[in-house]
Amino acid sequence: MIVAFAFLAGMTLVSALGVVLSRNVVHSALFMSGSFLGVAGFFVMLNVPALAAFQILIYVGAVTVVILFGIMFTQRPQVRSFSTILHRQVWAGLLVALGVGVFLAYVLSIQDWGGTQPGSGPREMADLGRILLGVSPGTEIFALFFQVVAVLLLVATIAAIGVSRRKTGEGVDRGVEE
Amino acid sequence: MTQTLGGQLILTAIPAIPALVFVVLALFGRYLRENAQYVAIFGMVFSLVFSVTALGLVISGGGEPISFAVPWIDLGEGGAFPMGIYIDGLAAVMLVVVSFVSLMVQLYSGAFMEGDPRFAWYYAVLNLFTASMLGLVVAPNFIQLYVFWELVGLCSYLLIGHWFEKRSARDAAQKAFIVTRVGDAALFVGIIIFWAQTGTTSFDGISQAAQAGFIGGSLFTAAVVLVFVGAIGKSAQFPLHVWLPDAMEGPTPVSALIHAATMVAAGVYLVARTYDIFVQSPTAMLTVAYIGGFTALMAATMALVKKDIKRVIAYSTVSQLGYMMLALGIGAFSAGMFHLYNHAFFKALLFLGAGSIIYAMNSYNLTEMGGLRHRMPLTFWTMVVAGLSLAGIFPLAGFWSKDAIVASAFEDHFYVLFGMALLTVFLTAFYIFRAIFMAFTGEPRTEAAREAEDPPGIMTLPMVVLALLAVASGWVGIPESFGLPLRDYFAEFVAPSGFAAETLSATFGVEPHGFSFGLAVVSVLVGLGGIGLAYVLYVARPALSGSLARRFSGLHAFLDKGWYFDAFYGATFVRGARALGRATNVFDRRGLDRGVGGVGRGIQGLGEFLRRLQTGGVQNYALFILLSVLVLGIVVGAVAGAAYTVLVVALIAVVTLASIAWGVRL
Amino acid sequence: MQQVLDTLNQTIPLEGYLVVAAMMFAIGAWGALIRRNAVVVFMCVELMINAVNLTLVAFADYLPQAGGTGAGYAVIIIAIAAAEVAVGLAIVLAVFRSRRTVNVDEINIMKG
Repeated sequence: MIVAFAFLAGMTLVSALGVVLSRNVVHSALFMSGSFLGVAGFFVMLNVPALAAFQILIYVGAVTVVILFGIMFTQRPQVRSFSTILHRQVWAGLLVALGVGVFLAYVLSIQDWGGTQPGSGPREMADLGRILLGVSPGTEIFALFFQVVAVLLLVATIAAIGVSRRKTGEGVDRGVEE
Repeated sequence: MTQTLGGQLILTAIPAIPALVFVVLALFGRYLRENAQYVAIFGMVFSLVFSVTALGLVISGGGEPISFAVPWIDLGEGGAFPMGIYIDGLAAVMLVVVSFVSLMVQLYSGAFMEGDPRFAWYYAVLNLFTASMLGLVVAPNFIQLYVFWELVGLCSYLLIGHWFEKRSARDAAQKAFIVTRVGDAALFVGIIIFWAQTGTTSFDGISQAAQAGFIGGSLFTAAVVLVFVGAIGKSAQFPLHVWLPDAMEGPTPVSALIHAATMVAAGVYLVARTYDIFVQSPTAMLTVAYIGGFTALMAATMALVKKDIKRVIAYSTVSQLGYMMLALGIGAFSAGMFHLYNHAFFKALLFLGAGSIIYAMNSYNLTEMGGLRHRMPLTFWTMVVAGLSLAGIFPLAGFWSKDAIVASAFEDHFYVLFGMALLTVFLTAFYIFRAIFMAFTGEPRTEAAREAEDPPGIMTLPMVVLALLAVASGWVGIPESFGLPLRDYFAEFVAPSGFAAETLSATFGVEPHGFSFGLAVVSVLVGLGGIGLAYVLYVARPALSGSLARRFSGLHAFLDKGWYFDAFYGATFVRGARALGRATNVFDRRGLDRGVGGVGRGIQGLGEFLRRLQTGGVQNYALFILLSVLVLGIVVGAVAGAAYTVLVVALIAVVTLASIAWGVRL
Repeated sequence: MQQVLDTLNQTIPLEGYLVVAAMMFAIGAWGALIRRNAVVVFMCVELMINAVNLTLVAFADYLPQAGGTGAGYAVIIIAIAAAEVAVGLAIVLAVFRSRRTVNVDEINIMKG
């Protein structure tokens, strides 16, 4: 258990660092998907394999691809030095982010969560389904969430199309050649 | 009649009508202009008629005072201060005097102030003054008295400074106000002491409380003396006499009204009104008497050498007021008030006469006049009458009252005061006739004097009326032992209260005494001697006066400069006040202005500093947000509860102070 | 040997997942503050979202009284995040088209 945990944790965190620090944008995207895989592994360890499947499908599958598309269309040449890709406030940002992380970790660890033991996750898909539909006791709000998310997805689709529409008369997309 | 509303209204109208005239003239003076005098005189006539009515009522009531009041301020436990009317014999006489002289002055001013750009305002303030003086006279308690006392002082300031384009007029008005202020402050403290000790401010109440022993000995004397200091300020006695000669910068009719007949009499009136209280403190009485006597003598010496005719008359007023204070101080209440009453008429006449000379010649200076006797006969004869009355020559009005005072001093064994008073008689006769001889006899010394003429009728009418009064007003107070089948109406009417009379005879051994022919002869002879000396020095041998002035030039300067009082006050109080003013100015400019400006600059600096945070870069903003969240989280998490609020407040305070300090330093 | 195996087989405490998620969140935050390329910033935002998901699911598993609703929340969040990526990238593309750059430093007309 610990071995698996340590491995997954290391993979996730190292990939996260890779996202931040790599000079090549595409490498960042790939590191990102690695991180997603780590998280999916965590989900398996947490007794929600259905969620792990969702994670991989959506994140590693769809989101990564979309981002790669985005990279493709806004392509920039690979750079040599870090200063081109990194902002001036590297160290300040590091301190703040580190502070936030440490603080969160500390607060979350100190708190007494009262009788924790693993194994309460919705291991069965049916359980997860009931939770999502708002049928399971104590989760009635999810019925609303379900509908809201549906509407949101519709709106997002339309918005994405609307925002990225090419207005008549604009230049040709020169993305690749640059 | 006074029980009815109508009666009360008539009595209230006496001070209320001039106040109403003031409001009307203040608002509409711009449109009325020269017609303001008619409005004012119209109102004043009514006031006079009502005053005479009041006098009649009191006489017919056998001297019983009329009194009614309305509640004004009621503090419950703290005490009540009503506003009301209290008219006894003394007040009734004063009402008639004040309204009569005011009417004469207002008639006179119509011609004197002709062409003045602020004509209507002059009349407005004159009426406000009259209203205040009348209100003061009928006051039943200290508070009302004090309110009107202050108003009177204010009007004096406004009127002295009527020609405020002149620097000297502005300064004189300020000086008058500030010097009387000293007296007013003392008066107020005295009032507070009385009120604190007895819980009431009405004259009756305080007198009774004093009799019953509510007020301790030395505190009582102190309070009474403080009240007297207030009277000193208003009546220009030593040492607060310095403002009255300078107050001659105002128009002459103003001097006639305010600085001869009424306002300066307010101090004497105060002492008379609170006589019941005064007689209970022998120390205070002696203070009053000696200050009065000293002032009489001192002012008379100062008048000997003045070249400005108005200043001579002003010092004469100070001196005569000293006489009145002397009389009150030694227990000769009726004599003192009698002199007040007579003095109002002949002194106002003297001022109006001086005013007509000024109107004709445009100059105050005695050395520029001369020979006006032929050119301005009416002025000449009225001034001679007034001068004789002032000098106390039989059988004019001044004789009866002045002789009464001198005789009282002698017969009540106040020999020092008697000596002072007698010497002052001599000096008084001398200086007033010096002025008259210099102005009216001999050859005209300047072109203006050659062309002078008597003023128009509206100015000479009041003078003639006042001259008649200067002769005859004393005849209501002829003592019985003189031999005429007349009673001393005045002394019967205006007498101290029974309580005061008893206390006087018990403490001072004062008893009513008959007319003393011997003393009368003495005082008349002394007066004639003064006139004679003036004749010698200024008519027969004018060169002699010049050579005397040169021989005794030190003494001459000493008298001319008012015994150097002005210089002394200037060096001490005025310099000190100016230095204090400069210091506060510096503090204001450096300290306060810098401080306030510094706050502004500090906040501005903070704003500039914060402005640099707005870089336009979204990641910067994100950094700040995250940082703030972190800080807040730490603080809330680590230091929960009330301490968090304190911490936030402390942080804000520190930032604000730092920014202010930063700004001030800059 | 058995001891080693026993220690290795110990259940992971809840705090373990929470700390990992916190670190991932911190790294994502750092990256969002640091990188100049807008698309990379996006990716870091995704990292942060995943960290939150991880926390939620950890709680769902470890707190019996929650009834496993944390996993439901995580699903909702995944859906929303996906929508957000779509819209966000559309915006980036639009900006890129007009300014020819995805460098966030150069998008600073709110300066001052």
